Amino acid sequence: MTAVTTTDNTGKSKLWKPPIVGVVTFVLMFFVIGLGHTFMVLVEHTLGRENTYMASFFIGAGAIVLLWQGIKSRNENLQTWIGFLAALLVWMTWIEFFFMFYGRSNWGMLPRMDGADGLQVSGTYPEYMILGATVGLLLMQLCFYTFDKDTRCNMFLWFQRRLGLQKGLGISTKTSRDRNYAIITFMETIYVTWFCYVWNLLCFDPRLVGNGDLFFAVNMATVFVSFVWSGYCFARLIKFKRISTALRYAIPVGNIFWVSFEVSTKWKLFTDIWVDPWSYKLELSIVLGALMLLVFLLVIAPKKPSELGKTRTG
Amino acid sequence: MKIFIKTFAIAASLLLVGNPASAEKLKLPLGMGGVPDIGAISCEVFNNMMVVGPLGTKRSLLTWGEGYFYAKTGKTIDEILEAAQAADQSWDFDRLTAHLVNFCAADPDAQTSAAVVDLGEHLLQQ
Repeated sequence: MTAVTTTDNTGKSKLWKPPIVGVVTFVLMFFVIGLGHTFMVLVEHTLGRENTYMASFFIGAGAIVLLWQGIKSRNENLQTWIGFLAALLVWMTWIEFFFMFYGRSNWGMLPRMDGADGLQVSGTYPEYMILGATVGLLLMQLCFYTFDKDTRCNMFLWFQRRLGLQKGLGISTKTSRDRNYAIITFMETIYVTWFCYVWNLLCFDPRLVGNGDLFFAVNMATVFVSFVWSGYCFARLIKFKRISTALRYAIPVGNIFWVSFEVSTKWKLFTDIWVDPWSYKLELSIVLGALMLLVFLLVIAPKKPSELGKTRTG
Repeated sequence: MKIFIKTFAIAASLLLVGNPASAEKLKLPLGMGGVPDIGAISCEVFNNMMVVGPLGTKRSLLTWGEGYFYAKTGKTIDEILEAAQAADQSWDFDRLTAHLVNFCAADPDAQTSAAVVDLGEHLLQQ
């Protein structure tokens, strides 16, 4: 067994210090979510709907192969990036495009209508109506993390403390070296995206909240919770020094903040440029350029040896 | 006087019950997809619905049309298609719905009922 150690060069960088690491990862996450919507629209229009469904299977399978490469790696930073990218691809293809296939083409669901006369197509497309119905499945899955003594997720740890579960669950037996950050980031991205989608969809469901005062109140409360929750997490995020940790923490922060953005867009406070790339070519090109630059900067930024797997024994 | 009041009361109640302006428009249960009467919307709305729910939307209008054809001829869609086949016309789900979709795509200002009427003219001509 050998232990490789390298010099910690993060301290030499004048740029990659708090709060820069947190701010950059948060902005990156916000751009990724927005451009994820754009990517889906472009894929659908470029390949055509039927080809998209077919291609989805293979893109998702390719993402799993990529994930395996990340799982095999000992580099935490690489694991995090690969886990994140693979999850985005799997979510867009195996979840959203598959739901689109079932809702629009297979089951023949009718679009939900909106507007005063009920003659405008609502943004809750058939695939999102199906996604909203997965709330029970989501809650069932979240039980696993609630009762997992080895979880490191702050939200579940908070639940365990508040509900007095920790004594019954016992002490965690895993150290950071036992954790594979590729699969952790992969699952985190999937669950956070799923949770935030369902949260949004339930708040928009007219059967649950109507379309009058209760709808307004629930969505106002959603914006409030989303701002406070993401603001609290952002305040923690900007203290992060390690890029890999910040990147993983930014996934929920960006997604929770996005919930308020979705509500605001529904209220027409913002134009939803993400799903109309043909009308906003310049704007979206600039955002894409900025995203690529941020990714490049994060990749070349100095890392702690532990992030690169250089202190691990092997 | 009593007879006058009674007559007035009956007339007033009949007016209130029979007044079409006071009738509420049909609404679907909240959360449900689609529109209450797909035969009474513009082709523009139909075209927008087709983008997001193509299969369900065209199937819904065809079902509306099947009711219309039955009311008009007393024949079910299978009986109509059988007669059409005898006259060397071949129709299936895709061809029937394509007729409706193409009609609406060509004339977004028309009503969807016009698309059904137009389909009927092709189907029932034999």
